[in-house]
Amino acid sequence: MKLLTAYFTLGYPSPSMFTKLLKAAEDSGVDIVELGIPPRFAKYDGPLIRRSYEHVNRLGMDHWQLLKEARRSISIPIVVLTYLEEWVKNFTSFVDKVHEIGVDSILLPDLLIDYVDVFEEYFENAKRVGLTLFTSPSMPDKLIMRVSSLSKLFLYYGIRPTTGVPIPVDPTTLVRRIRSLVKNKLIVGFGLSLNDIADVLKAGADGIAVGSVLIQAINDGGVESVTKLLKELRGVIDGV
Amino acid sequence: MRDKYEPMVNTLNKYLDEILPNYWYNIVPDLPKPLPPPIDPPENSSRIELLQQILPKEILKQQFTIDRFVKIPDEVKEKYGVLGRPTPLYRAKALERFLDTPATIYFKFEGALPTGSHKVNTAVPQVFYAHTEGVDHVTTETGAGQWGAAVALAAALYGVKATVFMVKASYDQKPGRRALMEFYGAEVVASPSKLTKIGVEIVERNPRHPGSLGIAISEAIEYALENGYRYVMGSVLDVVLMHQSVIGLETMKQLELIGEEPDVLVACVGGGSNFGGFVYPFIGLKSSKKMEFVAAASAEVPKFSKGWYKYDYPDTAGLLPLLKMITLGKDFVPPPIYSGGLRYHGLAPSLSILIAEGIVKWVEYKESDILEAARIFAKTQGIVPAPESAHAIKAVIDIALQAKKNSEKKVIVFNLSGHGLLDIENYRSMMLRYQKQ
Ligand SMILES: Cc1ncc(COP(=O)(O)O)c(C=O)c1O
Repeated sequence: MKLLTAYFTLGYPSPSMFTKLLKAAEDSGVDIVELGIPPRFAKYDGPLIRRSYEHVNRLGMDHWQLLKEARRSISIPIVVLTYLEEWVKNFTSFVDKVHEIGVDSILLPDLLIDYVDVFEEYFENAKRVGLTLFTSPSMPDKLIMRVSSLSKLFLYYGIRPTTGVPIPVDPTTLVRRIRSLVKNKLIVGFGLSLNDIADVLKAGADGIAVGSVLIQAINDGGVESVTKLLKELRGVIDGV
Repeated sequence: MRDKYEPMVNTLNKYLDEILPNYWYNIVPDLPKPLPPPIDPPENSSRIELLQQILPKEILKQQFTIDRFVKIPDEVKEKYGVLGRPTPLYRAKALERFLDTPATIYFKFEGALPTGSHKVNTAVPQVFYAHTEGVDHVTTETGAGQWGAAVALAAALYGVKATVFMVKASYDQKPGRRALMEFYGAEVVASPSKLTKIGVEIVERNPRHPGSLGIAISEAIEYALENGYRYVMGSVLDVVLMHQSVIGLETMKQLELIGEEPDVLVACVGGGSNFGGFVYPFIGLKSSKKMEFVAAASAEVPKFSKGWYKYDYPDTAGLLPLLKMITLGKDFVPPPIYSGGLRYHGLAPSLSILIAEGIVKWVEYKESDILEAARIFAKTQGIVPAPESAHAIKAVIDIALQAKKNSEKKVIVFNLSGHGLLDIENYRSMMLRYQKQ
C-alpha cells in the first residue's frame, strides 16, 4: 500500500483546531504526520507555509506542549520537522526533549545540504529518536545512494526547490532518476499538485507527502476541507 | 588514428554525426556535494514564485528537473548545425613551437560560431523554448555584447523581438557589437537606462554610472515583467551551463578520434558558462584519468581571491532568488576592464562548489598580462582571441612553460570561447594603456 504523509504546522491555525486536524488526518487514512516547528528562517518553504509559521509565532505557543498533545491524540507515526540551523547549538537537548515526548523521528531538510560534511555526527547524536533524511534532485546520486538506507521510516525526496510553489518540473523523470538508488521507502513531496501524484507513484515512489495544499485547505474551510481533501488523496493513491 | 584525422575545420561528414551530441549533460547528479537550492529572502515576496513570470517555462523545467542527460530537441540540433556546430578542435602547434614546450596544446574554437562566441549554444534553445510557448519578445543583458549578439541572432532565427540592456561602459566601448545586435534586428539600450525603475534610481544617484552586469540583468528582468515578455539568461544558471555542455561533449569525441586524453583543461570564467560547458563532461563522465581543471578569471574582478561563498542575489535589484555562490556581492561595480564578459560579481553555483572543494583550481590575471598573451596567440596561431578568452590563453602559456621546466609531455586542452575581432579597438586602447607604463 502506498503511503500518505501529511504536513501540519505545530499549532496552526490554533491549538484546538490543530488537535482536531490531527485526529481528522488519522481518521482519513493518513499514514504518517510531519509536524513543523516554526523556524526563524524557513529556508526551503514557500509563502503559504511561511505565513503559517508567522501566524503561530504571533500567537506565541509552547511547541513542546503542542507536541505532547499531538502525541497523546494520535497513534500514527509523528515526524518532527525543523531546520538544523535552528538547533545546532543545543542539538542534544533538542533530541532529548523530542525523545521524551515520544515522537518517532526527526526530519531536518538542511542536514544534507548545509551540514553534509558532518551529517554523520548529527545522525549519531539523534540515534535515540532517529532521523528521516531529506534529499532533493540537486543532490549527487552517490550521496542519495549512501544515505537512503540510513533513513528512519522512509527517505524524503523533495522535488521542487521550495514548498508550495508550482515550479514546473517533470516528476516522472525526477523520481525515475533516483528510484533505483534508494533502498528504502521513497516518499516524494514539495509542491505536489494533484496532477503530480499519479506520475510520482507510477514512477516508483512508495508514497507522497503533502503540506501546502493542506494549509490552503485549512485556510479555506478548516477541518472539513482538510478531511475532504485527505480522503480524496487517499482515494487517488489507492487507485494508482 | 592521428594520421587519418587531424582535428580541423573540414571534419569529414561521417565524423560530424559522431561528434555532435544528442544530449546535453548536467553535472549536478555527479557533483561531490549537494547543490544548495535557490532560496527566497526571509522577508518580501517569493522570488522563486516570480521566476514563473520571468523565464520560459521549459527553461525553468530544465533548471529544476535535474537529470544527467537531457535530449537536445531536433529543432535545436538542426540550428546548431546551421550555425556551425561541431566547432573545430585545433592543435596550437605554432604556439607550442613559440613556447618551446614539450606540452601538446589543443583548443576548441567557439569563436568559429557566427556571433563569435559560445553564447549562441544556449541562446538558441532558450529563445526556441520561449518561441514555442508563444512568447514574441525576449529581453536580456549583455556586457561586452557577445551574449547580446547571440540572443539577437537566436531571436532573428525564430522571428522573435529582442531588447538588450547593454552595460553602459561596454555600450560606449564596443560600438561594433552594438551595431551587430542591431543588424540582427535587436533593440539595444544602454544600462542603467530610463526604461526601468532600477535604472532610473541608479542614474539619479550617479548620472555617470558605468553600469554592471548585475544592474543590466535587473533591468532586463524588470522590463520583461512589466511587459509580459520573457527573459533569457546568459550564464550562471545550471540550465545554461547544461546547454553549453555541447562544447565539452564534442571536444571529448574529437579527442577520442585522435586518441588523445587531456591532462589539463582550461577555460576562462565570468559567470562560468563556457568553463562549465567545456570542462564538466570531463569532470563528471571521465573518471579514468587524473586531470587538472583550471579556471582563469580577471584580477580586476577578483571573485576567487577576494570573494565569499555565500547566498547572494544574481542581480543587483534582487529580483531573482538567492543562489549560494562565490560572489563579490551584488553591488560590486567592476572597474571598466575590456573583458566585459568577466565583469560579473557571481559565479555558477555548481562551479562554486567545485572551486570550494578544490576540484577546480583557479588563477586570476591582470588586464596587462592577458594583453600580452592575446598578442602571442594572434602572432602565432593567427586568431585574435576575445579578451575574456585571453585569460585562458595566459593560463595555458603559464602551464606550458611550467611543463617545459619540468620536461613534462602534458596534453593541455583549452576553450577559446570567442574571437576578438570586434574587440580590436579595445586591444588598441589596452596597448596604449599598458605600453605607456
Ligand atoms: C568570449 C567570452 N568568453 C567568456 C565569457 C564569460 O562568460 P562565461 O563565464 O559565462 O563563459 C564571455 C561573456 O560574455 C564571453 O563573451
